[in-house]
Amino acid sequence: MFKYDVVVVGAGGAGMMAALYASKDPSLKVAVLSKIFPTRSHTGAAQGGINAAMGYRDNSDSAEKHFRDTVKGSDFLADQDAVEFFTTHMPELISELDYMGVPFSRDKNGKVAQRPFGGASSPRTCYSADKTGHVILHALYEQCLKNNVRFHNDWYLLSLAVDNGHFEGLVAMDIRTAKVHAIQAKAVVIATGGYGRVYWSRTTNAINMTGDGTAACFDIGIPLKDPEFVQFHPTGLASTGVLLSEACRGEGGYLINKDGERFMARYAPDKMELGPRDLVSRSIETEIKEGRGFGDGMGSYVLMDLRHLGEEKIMERLPQVRELAMDFEGVDLVKEPVPIRPSCHYMMGGIHIVDHKTCATPIEGIHAAGECCAVSIHGANRLGGNSVADVVLFGKYAGQGAQQSAKKRSFTSTAKLELEKIKWTEKFDLIRKKKTGINMFEIRDKMAETMWYNVGIFRTEDEMKQAYYTIEDLLEQFKDAFIGDSSESYNMAFINYVEISNLLKLAKAVTLGAINRKESRGSHSRGDYPTRDDENFLKHTLIYNEGEYYRLEYSPVTITKYQPEERKY
Amino acid sequence: MRTIHYKIKRFDGKREWYQDYQLQYEKGKTILWALTAIREQLDPTLVFTSACRHAICGSCAIKVNGKSFLACKTSLDEVLETFKSDYLVFEPLSNFEVIKDLAIAWEPKMEKMKQVKPWLIPSNKGSVERGFIQSEDDFHEISSPTDCILCGVCTSECNQLAVNDGTYLDPFILNRAYRFSVDSRDCAPEEHIRPVYENELWKCIHCMQCISSCPKGIPLTDEIAYLRQESIKMGEVNNQGAKHAFAFYDDVRNKGRLNETMLPIKTDGLLKTATTKIPFALRMIKKGKINPFHMPKAIEGIKGVKEIYKYAEEVKHS
Repeated sequence: MFKYDVVVVGAGGAGMMAALYASKDPSLKVAVLSKIFPTRSHTGAAQGGINAAMGYRDNSDSAEKHFRDTVKGSDFLADQDAVEFFTTHMPELISELDYMGVPFSRDKNGKVAQRPFGGASSPRTCYSADKTGHVILHALYEQCLKNNVRFHNDWYLLSLAVDNGHFEGLVAMDIRTAKVHAIQAKAVVIATGGYGRVYWSRTTNAINMTGDGTAACFDIGIPLKDPEFVQFHPTGLASTGVLLSEACRGEGGYLINKDGERFMARYAPDKMELGPRDLVSRSIETEIKEGRGFGDGMGSYVLMDLRHLGEEKIMERLPQVRELAMDFEGVDLVKEPVPIRPSCHYMMGGIHIVDHKTCATPIEGIHAAGECCAVSIHGANRLGGNSVADVVLFGKYAGQGAQQSAKKRSFTSTAKLELEKIKWTEKFDLIRKKKTGINMFEIRDKMAETMWYNVGIFRTEDEMKQAYYTIEDLLEQFKDAFIGDSSESYNMAFINYVEISNLLKLAKAVTLGAINRKESRGSHSRGDYPTRDDENFLKHTLIYNEGEYYRLEYSPVTITKYQPEERKY
Repeated sequence: MRTIHYKIKRFDGKREWYQDYQLQYEKGKTILWALTAIREQLDPTLVFTSACRHAICGSCAIKVNGKSFLACKTSLDEVLETFKSDYLVFEPLSNFEVIKDLAIAWEPKMEKMKQVKPWLIPSNKGSVERGFIQSEDDFHEISSPTDCILCGVCTSECNQLAVNDGTYLDPFILNRAYRFSVDSRDCAPEEHIRPVYENELWKCIHCMQCISSCPKGIPLTDEIAYLRQESIKMGEVNNQGAKHAFAFYDDVRNKGRLNETMLPIKTDGLLKTATTKIPFALRMIKKGKINPFHMPKAIEGIKGVKEIYKYAEEVKHS
């Protein structure tokens, strides 16, 4: 049996930062498990930047202003003590990343460059061209190489072993050998990213963003906080969901339906295409729903037309966007309009964190950081530039927290851990040898379809209930799922099977949280309850997994400085 | 209906074979789309790696008809047009250890990369508390090399690695060494360059396959040229590669052309040339390919050549 003081699950920005910090104490044995090679992690996809009130570009900026913007952006659902902690510590973290070798773009004075971003009252988004997440991810990996951090690449988390509230370790599969391993640990940091893939093809997320760590925590009784809050981006490419920058609309792109109308005239006659993200997303979906889109079903779309801008302007201002459209949709937007549709972008909700300074969950020894959890600094809506900031900052504090937990706790029983290992070994054998059943990819696609149509950009009670029953039915069907691969090694079909199982569990929680939040707040927009209701819903949703039955609770939002007010821009 | 035929190289740890699949043609798709469709519709046992599907994570590079591509970024239509064929062969990248089917192992490459200390060795002009001051120009020096996504296409296309015993460093490793050696925040460029020099830096054969295949357009061969220059500045002149370069440099300066007869002697020395190249040279003489007594005269425009050398020297020192 493997034995580590601290195990980090996930090797994106949060995971590698946690590993670097946990291993600062040389007496601790630390390892990172990752289901993919570390630099493939989704942190690398973040383009625009990382928020920190350096005040380099606008010396009137401050951590206080970043704090206020984040709280307002969250539609007052963020915990203000956590947000203040976050914004106060971000500037020093940028310097630390600079010192690690992150190649930040620079201003005239040689300081880290900053740009304006949505929802920010000052230009405070630090960046490296349009590849900020990529360069941070690689710099962290380089630091891990330098510090000899131990990686188990291609290892997949199956479950956490907790006996009577006592954390014993985790069970994981070495994908290459398909061997199930028990790993005894005093502390763990879950840093497995979001679960945007509950909408499968309609997300900007990487193919493997399946919420494995979130589901593992959910399974052992740690509640899921605010899962109903899902951020959608209006202009994803139609066939893949790959993101086309907001700059397309900013530069004057038109949105066109199949009748050739600029349909935004119906929804935002003044601002037209320049309406806010959520409004534009809802308008596109309304057009499709009312039969004015192109294509069918999950393949429906509207067009974004940039041709009138002319080749010169497109080449000068939007060269990357043009390349993305050519590479991933086969369309040259100098010559043709590009098919687009909103895409799920980010999950605000996740594993319930009880102490933002250590990123501790309710179970001692289990910590979490990044999109897999909800600290909560994003509340009902995350601001652009706050996600990479979130992963590196809370990755650091989760690493420190895990280090403290490991020093406090000792290795004890492994009874439950061994049982879990046997359970998964048997399950792998059973599933891979199964000869017939329901195609798991079909179950996955049905889940995505019902989530997209019924728990998507705009929501109503009836539709969400329909989704809930569909998901329950799919969970039932999943018991007879067929993976079609009996391989004893590198069985990716089995990994996909567990991933889809995780997505189904989380999709049900998203739906349940959404049905019960009878208001519209941030990204959660309901046709039947169109306004925010602070009296009844200024609170966090907490969903507990009690087998097939999910229990719903609520917990108060921490408000320190900013009383809720109407969110106007 | 047009059918596209895919032949995919399979490997299960012991056995290798090629397997045939067919998909209906669809317009505007990518290689990654084809792989995913084969896996989800025809054969769930097929293993390949992919993640972001928009050319930033570097997971999905494979070989198509012998040429390496990043699968997500590569249009199927373009490939069909390039090869003028509806029959495509998919194989794992070359010069990597294959785990299963199209999945390759990166760990041995990372162990190899560690030799060049692929991390910033921070100078004392910065601190962890305050970071660094770096000019925009200095940032631009490291902007392109930090585009590298570790996809492995350059390694797969490298013709030196194809014949090398594994000592020669992969192009993406040379890129990392370059990236840190030119970073104004790094205080020890030599620590990145010396291991590059010691691992057969001069063996790059200038075939340009890495640079022409890199999905991020990183000028790898320019970087290699820079690393060589720096190794010379570090005093590493007494080796085959540097001597070869100096032979070119001197010949062209003196006569405006190469003296092919003297080139091996200048590069390898008289003794080594005598023991290794004489039988070859004799065969060449016999066939009339070379005349050992021909000493090339200076070309007509030699004055101009010397002017160019002088100008280049001035630019270098300005």
